[in-house]
Amino acid sequence: MNPVLVYCRRDLIRWFRGKWGFISAMVMPAAWLIFVGLALPIRFTDHYIDFVTPGILAMTTLSASMTGGGLLIMDRMLGFFNKFLALPPPRESILFGKILVITIRGLIQTTVIFLIAFLLGARLYSPSQLLVTYLILFIFGGLLSSAATTLAIFVGEHDQYSAVNSMVTMPIFFTSTAMMPYDQMPEWLRAIAHINPLSYAIDGIRLVADGSIPFVQIGVLFALFIAVLTISVHVFRKTGL
Amino acid sequence: MKKKNGYYPDNIIVTRNLTKKFGTLCAVNQMNLSVGNEIFGILGPNGSGKTTTVLMLTTLLEPTEGTAYICGYNIQEEPRKVRESISYVPQDMAVDVRLTGRENVEMFAELYGVKNPAERSEEVLQVLELSDRADEFAKVYSGGMRRRLELAQALVHNPRVLFLDEPTVGLDVAARKKIWEHIKKLRSAGMTIFVTTHYMDEADKHCDRVAIIDHGTIRAIDTPENLKRIISKDVISVSIKGSYMGIDLPGVRFALEEDDELIFYADSGDLALPLIKDALTAGGAIVTAMSLRKPSLDDVFLHLVGTEEDNRPFNLSTFRNVTGRRG
Repeated sequence: MNPVLVYCRRDLIRWFRGKWGFISAMVMPAAWLIFVGLALPIRFTDHYIDFVTPGILAMTTLSASMTGGGLLIMDRMLGFFNKFLALPPPRESILFGKILVITIRGLIQTTVIFLIAFLLGARLYSPSQLLVTYLILFIFGGLLSSAATTLAIFVGEHDQYSAVNSMVTMPIFFTSTAMMPYDQMPEWLRAIAHINPLSYAIDGIRLVADGSIPFVQIGVLFALFIAVLTISVHVFRKTGL
Repeated sequence: MKKKNGYYPDNIIVTRNLTKKFGTLCAVNQMNLSVGNEIFGILGPNGSGKTTTVLMLTTLLEPTEGTAYICGYNIQEEPRKVRESISYVPQDMAVDVRLTGRENVEMFAELYGVKNPAERSEEVLQVLELSDRADEFAKVYSGGMRRRLELAQALVHNPRVLFLDEPTVGLDVAARKKIWEHIKKLRSAGMTIFVTTHYMDEADKHCDRVAIIDHGTIRAIDTPENLKRIISKDVISVSIKGSYMGIDLPGVRFALEEDDELIFYADSGDLALPLIKDALTAGGAIVTAMSLRKPSLDDVFLHLVGTEEDNRPFNLSTFRNVTGRRG
């Protein structure tokens, strides 16, 4: 078995068996969907849940990735890292394993969101729409988990990383198109939202929901993913944790 | 040429002027070692450079100067070949508590690229007497079992060289004994074992050869017996009231004053005992207790390194360099 998959499987099993981490990862986004999707008094659309679901999907990927960045730091703190580094497989497979597992965790969480959204009466996606949506979420998840692990390597300590995590997550979420479309935003926010990667994922999924294929968004996200992954490998090799 | 450079069957680990500096701190200084099929202990106080040495030999840290060969492979030029030939068990005791013992070992078998991971894992679990509890989560394992589980992980690919960093730290007497029994069996089976420890008695009892290291410099390398011979045949400790004025007797050397005890080295302890008492009494002190014993590695260590405690401020970034960060 490929070492990347071995590392990935290890973290997945630990996550499932860790119970509370897993439960919290399922409940949190669901709570967002219910309280934001159903409870906010919104005037620009009659069916806000359809509008907000892509936003919550992207937000779930964001928080899953940012939380996942901590995995690398914990491995170092607990001494696993030195054991892994002394093994024969290329050391980058440790990094790729982490990025992969964080992405998969994000996809599992977004699947739960999808199910709940449909139960709450959101418009159903066709299989091909689902396929493209998952493609977007996969690329987007890869992008964010690469960014989160890079940040984690850079910050280095667990408590410091949690602080950075909470500092980064909320502004990214609120400066995206998750909660409202561009035309409802104040001018200054609109400019930021246009360059926020989260908006690209959200806009992409909304385009899919409207029946088109968002080549631009997928292209931008993919290019960003490759760029951040390259930086991540570079930082990993240089610091090596 | 390069690959065979300095490699003979009995030179499994060879270091050439191996040196590591962290800023101004010289953690390992011009180390030259040659280790064959034996249990080689590296003995030193905290911060003496033991772990740094192991990290360099296991390719986790780049040397500042000099180099080393493991099984003929250069640690800088062929790190992957080195990693294929060795196993490293760090001090931290890191086993995945949410995985079973078997899962822990099988994961390493797969990472080492072992042909049939399941079978091979079962074998090592049996060797380390863990097979009857292999399917329980490592969470419920005792400290000794966790250490043996780590050994099982390390042995699953049959390495030529095994690096153990403080393998018995934090374990009870019975667990320590068991670990050493396993280590000795491995040596008999042809494995080279490089172990760091600060337990003198364990090094004395179990290591074939010992290097005593202090501030990154090797002070002595030899078998425990020969090292003890550096001192003398016997060690005499004397408790006195009053102050020690110095004595001059043939075949007796004053070593050091430790707590309230005077330590003397004597070529023939039985004969020296009364002479020392008389000499001390003549010097105006009152002897309250005397004892005679064979020298231990502790004595050798104190003789070579002294009792000076490491008082340098604990530097976190250096510490992290040593334990965590690579290159």
